[in-house]
Amino acid sequence: MPKRVATIASLLLCCVATMALSVKAQAPAQPPRKTAPPSRAAVRPVDKRQDAPQVVTIVHRLNGLKMFRLLLRSEQHLQAVDRLDSSFSLMDEVHTNVIAGLAMDDGETIAAWLPEANVEFGPADFPAFNLQTPNIPQPPSARPAPDAPVAPNPWNAFRGNFFPPPDVTVIGADGKPLVAQYVGLDAVTGLSILRLAGKNPAAVGALQEDPVDVGESVRLYGPEPVTGQRGLLNSGLYVRIGATEGKVFDVRRAPTGGVARFKVSSPRLSQSIIGGVAINDAGETIGIVVGLEGTEASVLPAAVIRRAARRVLERQASVPKPWLGAQGVAVAQLKLDQFLNHGWKPERAAALAGDHQGILLTSIMPDSPAAKAALRAGDVILKVNNQEIDNGEDFTWLLEQAGPSSSVSFTVARPDRMVAEALDVKLSGKLDSGFTWRFGSNRPAANDFLIHHGIETIALRPAVALQLGTTAGLLVVYVEPATAAFDAGLQPGDVIQSINGQSVTLLRRPFLSPSNQPATMKFEIVRNKEKRTLTVVNPVKKKP
Amino acid sequence: MKERQCEVIRRELDDLTLGDEGSTAVTQHLRECGECREFHQKQTRLRQIVGSLGTVEAPPDFDFRLRARLANESSSAGFHLRAFQWSSAKGFAAVAMLLVFVGGVVYVRTISNPPAGPVAVQREEPVKPPVKPVEDKVVAPVQPPQVALNEVSDTVARKGRGTERVVRPQKRTPVSMDFSSERAETISNSSRQSTIFPIDASQQSFTVSLDDGRGNARTISLPTISFGSQRVIPTRANQFTQKGVWY
Repeated sequence: MPKRVATIASLLLCCVATMALSVKAQAPAQPPRKTAPPSRAAVRPVDKRQDAPQVVTIVHRLNGLKMFRLLLRSEQHLQAVDRLDSSFSLMDEVHTNVIAGLAMDDGETIAAWLPEANVEFGPADFPAFNLQTPNIPQPPSARPAPDAPVAPNPWNAFRGNFFPPPDVTVIGADGKPLVAQYVGLDAVTGLSILRLAGKNPAAVGALQEDPVDVGESVRLYGPEPVTGQRGLLNSGLYVRIGATEGKVFDVRRAPTGGVARFKVSSPRLSQSIIGGVAINDAGETIGIVVGLEGTEASVLPAAVIRRAARRVLERQASVPKPWLGAQGVAVAQLKLDQFLNHGWKPERAAALAGDHQGILLTSIMPDSPAAKAALRAGDVILKVNNQEIDNGEDFTWLLEQAGPSSSVSFTVARPDRMVAEALDVKLSGKLDSGFTWRFGSNRPAANDFLIHHGIETIALRPAVALQLGTTAGLLVVYVEPATAAFDAGLQPGDVIQSINGQSVTLLRRPFLSPSNQPATMKFEIVRNKEKRTLTVVNPVKKKP
Repeated sequence: MKERQCEVIRRELDDLTLGDEGSTAVTQHLRECGECREFHQKQTRLRQIVGSLGTVEAPPDFDFRLRARLANESSSAGFHLRAFQWSSAKGFAAVAMLLVFVGGVVYVRTISNPPAGPVAVQREEPVKPPVKPVEDKVVAPVQPPQVALNEVSDTVARKGRGTERVVRPQKRTPVSMDFSSERAETISNSSRQSTIFPIDASQQSFTVSLDDGRGNARTISLPTISFGSQRVIPTRANQFTQKGVWY
């Protein structure tokens, strides 16, 4: 027994000795505390990975009207406001989103993936989509410098004073606000592009456009709330830029040879990392996080970001997605019968199916760019701009890179032609579902009357209507610029009580088919608790 | 001489048993020496008395009790020795454990708190005239107001604890780490990069009760602030998902 005790004690002593040696080995460079302090530059290790001057913080604020617009786009299928806080004001800020932004290497451009950007715009904000829209003024800088002269707001003249431009503030890496102008939204990538009023004082990192490698270490930077004692200095909210480490594990190549997307794996990811800036070990920007699925973050590579910024800056406006107006299925996913159903002969269908290339068009929308180019259901698009297509993602990629309002060359195989032929297609622009919900929504047809006039509304229950100075009605949350209702002076924040003498409520929405609509419509509204009457000219009747 | 002869005779008398006459020398000496004759008579009388007492029988468990007592006494003697050894071993082990604990504390502090930066060293040093004032100017960067906030918060923390503490640089992460099998660490940059700044966010709550037009009401409390894409409300469709169709 004593021997055993002595053995245990000896082992413990060995452990102590080992730990002491390891501690000593790990801190060999620690200077004695009594020595004179060296300079900071000499002590601080150079760790470029911690430098992220290209990461800025974007503060995006939404007022009550925009939040209602967000609610209308939600999955809640909401129709009416039943109760509101007594202190609620339509124009006051009710929500703030804090997200990372990328200060690009030109020192002036900021790219950010704002999740609620779609509530800021309508189709008229995308000139490529609506070519009849008058010249659209640019939104002024959201937060001008305090000493800046007050100038009239052309954006408000275009969109109405009650639907202000995006309230976006840029905070530099040093914590100082930067005056910036919201230029536009790139609907292909979802990136918002802003322009700084002056050169970014911080030296930004380079954009690394070379392909990333699987296994490459990445840091994802984004703003995070400061918790603990610093966050409790007073009741305000404090933020700093934090980072999460991850590794590239999946790289999707584009048909043109570049990287279309890549994924970063990290067990510690949350929705808050979306919009974060991905930076490699050299401190170079390699992308922006635009999606999250479990522990995998989907990253938009730097080259795609640069192209998106270029698209928006060239137009000085938002850019929609390119629109073809066709639906199809990748040949590799088709069975032989599906070819035969579209008029293909068995031997040619077998040859096509064996090649596993191309897109079989299954339907064409009337008056679409595809229809105008004489594309038909049954056609197989083999190439776009001489690039072969293997799957739907390739096809989408090539169209997106071509951009809206661009001409692309299709190589098309047709059931009735023995040789593939070339077709030039002039693409158009289209907004995604976040903007065009009203056209394809499953809402009652009665609501379409207002929607087709560019008016988005939400019904008010009596208690809420009283807060706004009326008894019932439909609250206008958005009016599309350059529409008849907009021209008549209808504004967000108005409450529509009746149209042509018929009261409108949740259960009594106006329902008039276009052919039955009168040439002019009288809107009785309440604005700032005062009744008004607006005359809206029916554009359907106005045109012969 | 006579005494020597008497001593030898008396020793022989001690060895005699009752009724034994002894040797001729003893008999002759007893005739001549009156003292030894008296000693012999007293001893013979004592033996007769003891012999008249009869035999005394031992108790039946005498042998067992005797063995047990002997064993107990022997183990008792051994226990003192072992108790001493055991107590000393425990003390030894306790000292070893203490050393392990102290070593562990030193190890953990060394890992979690890397060598203090120059700011810490400067604060512990007695005030001395600067040897290289130019270097000091280079070392001390112009701190933006937000960095000053760090200092304020540190000061607040020190005051709250009532002790004078040095400002330590923030935790640094190891340069290389394999995250394939463990949780990635959320790191904070050093004070120079991770500037803390206030956000002017709305404090107005937005609680709204809505219904779906069929009388189904629900109350939604919307957060005043969100980070990244913490969506306030789930939207019907992902804003920019690719659908595989080209409408």
